[in-house]
Amino acid sequence: MSASNGNGNGNGNRNGSQTGAIRIGFYVCHCGHNIGAVVDCAAVAHYVGTLPGVVLSRDYKYMCSDPGQELIQSDIREHRLNRVVVASCSPLLHEHTFRTAVERGGLNPFYFQMVNIREHNSWVHNDRELATVKAKAQARAAVERVRYHDSLRTTRVPIQPDVLVVGGGISGIHAALTLGNAGKKVFLVEREPSIGGHMAQFDKTFPTLDCAACILTPKMSAVRAHENITLWTYSEVAKVEGYVGNYTVTIRRRPRYVIEDLCVGCLECVGKCIYKEAKFPDDFNVGLSRRKPIYIPFPQAVPQVVLIDPERCLQVKTGKCKKTCLEACADRKAIDFSQQEELVQIKVGTIILATGFKLFDAKRIPQYGYGLYPNVVTSLELERLVTSSGPTSGEIILRDGSKPRTAGFILCVGSRDTRTNRWCSRTCCMHSMKLAQLFKEHTQADVTIFYMDIRAPGKGCEEFYDKSLREGIRFVRGRVAEVTDWALAPEEEGKLVIRVEDTLAGFVRRIPVDMIVLAVGMEPQADSQAMRRLFNLSCSTEGWFLEKHPKLAPVSTFTDGIFIAGCCQGPKDIPDSIAQAGAAAAECLALIDRGYIEQEPNTAHIHEENCSGCKSCLPLCPYTAISFDETVGRARINEALCKGCGTCVASCPSGAIGQHLFEDEQIFKEIEGILA
Amino acid sequence: MKSIKRTIKYDADRVQGFGREIMGVTGCEQLPSCIQCGTCSGACPLSIYMDFSPRQVMALVRADFKREVLSSNTIWLCASCYGCTVECPRQIRITDIMYALKQRAIREGVYPKGMPIPVLAREFTRMVLSKGRITETLLVMRLFLKANWRAVLSSWRLGLGLIQTGRFVLKPERIERREELAAMLATVSVTRHAARAAKGRHHATPEQLIAEEVP
Ligand SMILES: Cc1cc2nc3c(=O)[nH]c(=O)nc-3n(C[C@H](O)[C@H](O)[C@H](O)COP(=O)(O)OP(=O)(O)OC[C@H]3O[C@@H](n4cnc5c(N)ncnc54)[C@H](O)[C@@H]3O)c2cc1C
Ligand code: SF4
Ligand code: SF4
Ligand code: SF4
Ligand code: SF4
Repeated sequence: MSASNGNGNGNGNRNGSQTGAIRIGFYVCHCGHNIGAVVDCAAVAHYVGTLPGVVLSRDYKYMCSDPGQELIQSDIREHRLNRVVVASCSPLLHEHTFRTAVERGGLNPFYFQMVNIREHNSWVHNDRELATVKAKAQARAAVERVRYHDSLRTTRVPIQPDVLVVGGGISGIHAALTLGNAGKKVFLVEREPSIGGHMAQFDKTFPTLDCAACILTPKMSAVRAHENITLWTYSEVAKVEGYVGNYTVTIRRRPRYVIEDLCVGCLECVGKCIYKEAKFPDDFNVGLSRRKPIYIPFPQAVPQVVLIDPERCLQVKTGKCKKTCLEACADRKAIDFSQQEELVQIKVGTIILATGFKLFDAKRIPQYGYGLYPNVVTSLELERLVTSSGPTSGEIILRDGSKPRTAGFILCVGSRDTRTNRWCSRTCCMHSMKLAQLFKEHTQADVTIFYMDIRAPGKGCEEFYDKSLREGIRFVRGRVAEVTDWALAPEEEGKLVIRVEDTLAGFVRRIPVDMIVLAVGMEPQADSQAMRRLFNLSCSTEGWFLEKHPKLAPVSTFTDGIFIAGCCQGPKDIPDSIAQAGAAAAECLALIDRGYIEQEPNTAHIHEENCSGCKSCLPLCPYTAISFDETVGRARINEALCKGCGTCVASCPSGAIGQHLFEDEQIFKEIEGILA
Repeated sequence: MKSIKRTIKYDADRVQGFGREIMGVTGCEQLPSCIQCGTCSGACPLSIYMDFSPRQVMALVRADFKREVLSSNTIWLCASCYGCTVECPRQIRITDIMYALKQRAIREGVYPKGMPIPVLAREFTRMVLSKGRITETLLVMRLFLKANWRAVLSSWRLGLGLIQTGRFVLKPERIERREELAAMLATVSVTRHAARAAKGRHHATPEQLIAEEVP
């Protein structure tokens, strides 16, 4: 137990329980039916009214409503309340609301305690009687605790105005540009050698069929040219420390063996590379073309800078190459084989994660024959094939070079399946219809889409579905059971045969086609769990980053100052990704422009008379907030540095350290209350 | 000319609660999440002969069309290959549902006329229960006699060949110490009786018990 006087260095006034009589006001909220249907709120109010010190006890339909808050304010004045307890939902949602109401009523906002009888009670119970007993116990605990509350003040810490954006897909690009245009300094960190993300690989975009490159590359160049944006590609976040407003982030910059500022992107080096033939699979073209060890990811890459693949380059691997690239680069001297990995530290106040998605691996469904039959491709491979800048210059051809005359698109590959991914990937119906239209336009082929349900709810999307129907694309409703090259009828010779139940016609069909396109679904990035730990976020079990509230805070996370945008939160199309990116940027601006972060007064404080000067707390504080005053032989806590982690409080052998909001008597009384 | 039949269904054609009962059988609980994708039908090697595809059977069960399901040939053509169950994206145990429906059809005696499979199932269990094992020859004979005795005439040559090569044994086979098997089975049926009594179904006949034993 700590002594009663902590005024010495605290921001609190620990006299609450000593001055005058305690007059507690208690309120229990029905939350409509959310609480009221399970907990007998009137009975709880009646019971709490009988507890010592409680001068007023009410139940009310919606405590968070304006009338609910006004009720608290007027009661404080009329009934001279000096403590308030509200039993309702999670403090995450409304603690701030009620503290403000208490303050408006003329009390210190920390003379307030909130009890969660919704998430912790009515939402998880269904026995009304027992739930009511529990609610009474929860309320009693708070009533016991609140007597020992102190008058406290929040502190304000200035916020770092710079922002870190992780991931340079369309979401990250849009967020960075929005913030940069608002005059904020932005660090954009991208893992790949160029920004652009998945969108850079597409030919056209649904539902308008505008050229992906034409709308994306101007934004990519704008990032590069922007005076407020520092772009670090081929880089990753290695470490994140601090808290909202004051994050210290370490970025790992991988060596590209080319000095970014000196390379002009002339590609002389690529031509002169000792490897005459491009023989290594090209990631950007999903392995459909080849590249050299020194390469530029794609013609419109940003930055327009080559890089050397350390796994392939002879010089990097063995140190025994003639280095013809060096000669080709000549005076520009951009190639530097001595480059090393670099760690850079930056300070930012807010962070936006826009790390996107990865595609489902079609090999996981062996019955569709991906990897077995060469003419079974994924939708992303088809995107590359139809693009004029792609490996076939926009020609859709079979592996033997001939033109396909029939094609089948299989939807929901890996999606909506409890054995792989339960969720709907949301964009594949639409992008398959887009690709089917392009397929037909390029080849005049007979195209069939095999679907379970067509999901086209976005703006202009149903109209796009109608366009597909009118253009003569066939639709067969049925999930394809298998793809084989096994001919049972003459027309099946040399073809891939789709076996499916045409559920609307009502029979099983065999449909021979030349080419099959698998609409592989979206998955969380492989490193999403590692990222979650790095940034201290929550993930859904699948690995999508979890938003703070699915409706009311869709781009916020449970860690203040960290926001999410785009497909890292869940599958979505480009318009939705952009909307989220803009929203995340606005959330950052709202914090930055306020200029400060209000901090909970949950700091630790030392009762000097009890401190024995043993110094055991000093090395334990992760924020080095504790120093030692040699003149008096006592430890001191610097409140501006203390983050309220409680480590020292628990460790002091003399029990000389207390912590605001978590004082010993508050916690013990709370426990006694719940057990009474 | 084919006669024109009315195909509309009225609510009275449903047997309310049937779907729920089937979904209550162990192994059949996933049926509510069927999305009618047709993978089961596409994967089924026998769906091309079925009057209702496996997917349609799922829909009929869910919608309480008991008579239609129990009299369909689908449940009897199902060869228990489990192809559908392996492929279903909702992990619905279609094969188990087929079994539940077969048991139900046998118990209620509504299987299609001339369909040998239910007869086979019943004769099979009878023989196992009494002899401890089956004698294939006798089982086939009984099947022919009960389901389609004329078929014996057309298959006699094949049968003779099998007997001559020793593939078909005419001597009835049985296990030793059959009284122990009987005692064991008695405990099982006593437990089952008790379970049934607890559920308020006292009057299950031995016939039904055997039917539930299938297979
Ligand atoms: C085949 C296909 C076609 C599509 N067609 C359309 C269409 O026509 N219209 C439409 O509206 N939508 C379409 N979509 C959806 C579209 O791809 C997404 O909406 C969009 O790409 C989401 O952008 P994003 O920035 O959130 O993610 P991404 O595009 O995935 O970008 C994420 C970026 O973050 C980087 N990154 C990931 N992890 C890290 C890390 N740890 N550190 C640093 N950087 C990291 C990645 O390298 C990548 O550059 C299609 C999707 C597919 C699969
Ligand atoms: S490294 Fe040198 S030669 Fe190669 S693209 Fe850059 S400037 Fe040109
Ligand atoms: S968007 Fe369409 S194809 Fe993609 S998972 Fe959803 S329903 Fe399937
Ligand atoms: S495969 Fe499964 S989900 Fe699809 S129709 Fe058959 S039972 Fe239903
Ligand atoms: S288990 Fe029966 S219904 Fe399922 S695929 Fe095999 S034969 Fe068809």
